[in-house]
Amino acid sequence: MILKGRGLSKGIGEAELIVSSEPVSFLGGIDAETGRILDEKSDVFGESIAGKVFAFPSGKGSTVGSYVIYGLALNGCAPVAILNERSEVVVTVGVIISEIPLVDCLDLSLLRTGDRVKVDGSEGSVDAEGVEEIHVVTSFLENDGRILLLKRSELVGTYQGLWAGVSGYLEKGDQAYERAVTEIAEEVGISNPKLLKEGEPVCSRDEKTLWVVHPFLFHVDSPEVKLDWEHKEFKWISPSQIPEFETVPRLPKTFGAVVQGLRPSDGET
Amino acid sequence: MQSRKQKISSAKRGEPLELSPEQERLLKEGSYGERKALELLIALGDVYDASKLIPVTSVHISGASYKTIGDPGLRFLSEICEGCRAKVKSTVNPIGMDRERFHEMRVSEEFVVKQKEIIGYYESLGVLDSWTCTPYLIGNRPGLGEHVAWAESSAVIFANSVLGARTNREGGPSALASSITGLTPDYGLHKEENRKADVLFELEFDLEEKEFAPLGSFAGEICGARMPYFKKLSATEDNLKTLSASLASSGSVSMFHIEGLTPEWELGLKEECESVSVDRKDLEEIADSWNTEDDPDLVAFGCPHCSTAELGKLADMLKDGWKGPELWVCTSRAVCENIPETVQLINKHGKLLCDTCVIVSSVEDFSSTIATNSGKASTYLPTLCKQKTMFADAETLVRRFQ
Repeated sequence: MILKGRGLSKGIGEAELIVSSEPVSFLGGIDAETGRILDEKSDVFGESIAGKVFAFPSGKGSTVGSYVIYGLALNGCAPVAILNERSEVVVTVGVIISEIPLVDCLDLSLLRTGDRVKVDGSEGSVDAEGVEEIHVVTSFLENDGRILLLKRSELVGTYQGLWAGVSGYLEKGDQAYERAVTEIAEEVGISNPKLLKEGEPVCSRDEKTLWVVHPFLFHVDSPEVKLDWEHKEFKWISPSQIPEFETVPRLPKTFGAVVQGLRPSDGET
Repeated sequence: MQSRKQKISSAKRGEPLELSPEQERLLKEGSYGERKALELLIALGDVYDASKLIPVTSVHISGASYKTIGDPGLRFLSEICEGCRAKVKSTVNPIGMDRERFHEMRVSEEFVVKQKEIIGYYESLGVLDSWTCTPYLIGNRPGLGEHVAWAESSAVIFANSVLGARTNREGGPSALASSITGLTPDYGLHKEENRKADVLFELEFDLEEKEFAPLGSFAGEICGARMPYFKKLSATEDNLKTLSASLASSGSVSMFHIEGLTPEWELGLKEECESVSVDRKDLEEIADSWNTEDDPDLVAFGCPHCSTAELGKLADMLKDGWKGPELWVCTSRAVCENIPETVQLINKHGKLLCDTCVIVSSVEDFSSTIATNSGKASTYLPTLCKQKTMFADAETLVRRFQ
């Protein structure tokens, strides 16, 4: 898995990751002598950031905190790289004067304490080799203002009995759009669906896997559906009814990615 | 099932900052300090989506007391100052001791040595002999519309609001980087569209002199990082100095407007703004919260540093004697130069200390309770110096101990 962010301080750091879910104040929050996290409210309280890659949403607190980062470096217990969702002045200044790589504009929910990562501060990239990326397509079909949900059968490998869109793994050499059209023909027997929108990929993290869902929204002229073995039931519903169904993980978010920015009339042909 | 690698972008990013050929050259061929300074400003520019670096006419640097910056700060200064000179007029914040009267402040030998080393690094840059949080009182006084790079939150807000100069709230290292390069990233308060206020404060009464500090604290807490706009307020420059320090310590306010008074008040309020009416009781509650003790070990004035007029008033009151505990009055050496009689009068009853202030000194080594007329000191003394506080205006405090 490679995440791409914004490189703010150059250099390369490779180590085990430690992720704090809360913003960090270096002044008072980190022991400059040892690198231990002193903030009792932190979810990684008591851990040491020395020699690790340290990820936290953002810095906060006094600007003297920049000198705490510098002090950590002088004492040989600085992190080898820092990752942020949004960097601010204290951390940015601290890492520049201490020559620690910094990458921000990252979605930290895709990273886990314990991941082994390589941070490239010039490229703005984070490579977690041990985390496998699995790409799938999920298509929502629209007819007469309603969308199609399918109940997964007991014969499929994952998420049996849950409601989903038309889905399939992206295989080697596949283009996402073509894979989506193929899956629609196989799973619900509809050919020539009309593409309304391809959404930005939606990422989520399991233990050792990064799921990358490529979402599509298609219009179909007829509500007629022929299920194959992968599903046992289907329903045409209003989009507002999605929360009433027991769905595969992050289905509402995936749907959100294709309706975002869509004009209301786009769905009615 | 196939796994394949692709770079996943998860957030929107602005364009990187553009450098001039001269800046590109400095980044490659400059001294270590120049390169580091420029790298630091570029990174900050990227963080805040600035499109370029702009020249500044004045810099004020914080982080000069050994107590605050410690050994890491000292080491950083030794490396970055090497072979560098200040490119623009630069002043520096108070240090941890009076350069001449440090023995009277009970400062340890080690502290004196390290503090002198810090002074030496700044002097090697060619900064003005300043060591004050009120550089605008001693000749570093930028005018309306000038782009500057100032640290020291109480001075930043004064520069923006009272002088109409333009600065973001810099930290010590970023201000130092601006001194070395003469540049700052162009974002935030450097742009006129960001100099409109967010919160309207209306006063239901005529503010008294002693209420400026609590008013600043009251409004600062409500505003956080937003900008206040005050209606119906008349004030002297010293009042505005007090208000500035108080606003910037309880919140992280970097600028305010006062209707009909401050130079850019006509920029006014944003279309969507909050409105707050201030009651005298709100201010009394804040003053009470600072006033937890009545038996101080030390009485301290001069946070921010006293002006000539403030020193004159104190000296006048002290003509009636002083029977209180140890008295510290802090100011800059430059302000003292032309008022020998005032200096003598204050020194007769207390210590008129230059170059330093109570917050950045090691006062906790001998005191546990401090009386002060400063909202800023009342906010910071409990955490930075482990002190309990007694708060009142200067006249009340002096009369209390006569």
